[in-house]
Amino acid sequence: MAQAQTSTAPPPASAAGRENAAETLVQAFVDHGFTHFTGVPCSLLKGVFRVLESGAGPAEGVTYLPAPREDSALGVAAGLSAAGARPAVLMQNSGLGYSLNVLTSLNLIYDLHVPLIVSWRGHDGNDAVEHDIIGRELLNLLDVFGLRHTVFDPNEPHASVERCLAAAEDGRATPVLIVKEGI
Amino acid sequence: MFGIQDAIRAVTEKFPTSLYVSTCGFITRDLYNTADRPENFYLVGSMGMAAPVGLGVALARPGRHVVVLDGDGSFAMNPGALPMIAEHSPDLVHVVLDNGVHESTGGQRPVRIADPAGMALAAGYSAAYAVASAEELAAVRPEPGVPSLLHITCAPRGAHAGKRVEWTPQQLVERFRAAAAA
Repeated sequence: MAQAQTSTAPPPASAAGRENAAETLVQAFVDHGFTHFTGVPCSLLKGVFRVLESGAGPAEGVTYLPAPREDSALGVAAGLSAAGARPAVLMQNSGLGYSLNVLTSLNLIYDLHVPLIVSWRGHDGNDAVEHDIIGRELLNLLDVFGLRHTVFDPNEPHASVERCLAAAEDGRATPVLIVKEGI
Repeated sequence: MFGIQDAIRAVTEKFPTSLYVSTCGFITRDLYNTADRPENFYLVGSMGMAAPVGLGVALARPGRHVVVLDGDGSFAMNPGALPMIAEHSPDLVHVVLDNGVHESTGGQRPVRIADPAGMALAAGYSAAYAVASAEELAAVRPEPGVPSLLHITCAPRGAHAGKRVEWTPQQLVERFRAAAAA
């Protein structure tokens, strides 16, 4: 205890640190010209939604649209993209199931590639039971549909987004940023 | 009774300069064969997504009027989209072409929504209209600048729709994006 009290090193996963990772994540998308964010919340993405709902800081000047379901979020994003805006979609991995039809019969075949920011509940097999199967199969599922995924590193938030978007720079694939730890 | 293809033609003549989003199946095919234009964004899949896509288009192009062509089956598939649309108050007319059947798949009975116009109002749309003839449709003057629902009770085609959309999805996006920006 005495050692912890005298330590000057910042705690590794403080609330402030997570907030900064979320802010930097949003800022990185804004830096790349993204204008609209839509989706359905996840507790692992709490900080990102807080930034988007605040409309302040990096979210100043961007539009956030809460969606009733992940597939509808993808539909709205497809319309935004088709008409020339730059949207991104946020969801928990559970929402990927709802999204598959829209991805395969709209976004992917029209080349309306919208980045997905997807949390990864159940990634270690030690989460609530409803996350077991989708958590175990998330990366396989993304691979089956050719969705190019990058795991978000909270210590390198800006670089993580850069890597994610660069993986789909040819405009022919949908990039997915996977968030394993709450930010 | 007002035939669905006549209703689609009447809507396109009523709103000749709008951006259109049409639901998959026969409605997209009818719009394509009736009045193909770059301003039309045809869905070929993703049933239930015409209205969310229309919202996205309207938000990306706030200066343009948007018409969504839904069927009764596709409308029933995604009523959750209604409050999301209402929240952003787009300049949009959400048309529900209600022929009472899933005609694209052989005429099966869809889930019936008793009062689509009432549901849209409850979800927060600014206005909603229910019509069942060409004359009634002609008399409707939707308020500009806000979302409204236009429920058109009409008769099934009783025949196959015209040919499928021949543009590739990528061509559709390219010409729609240019037309929306014009």
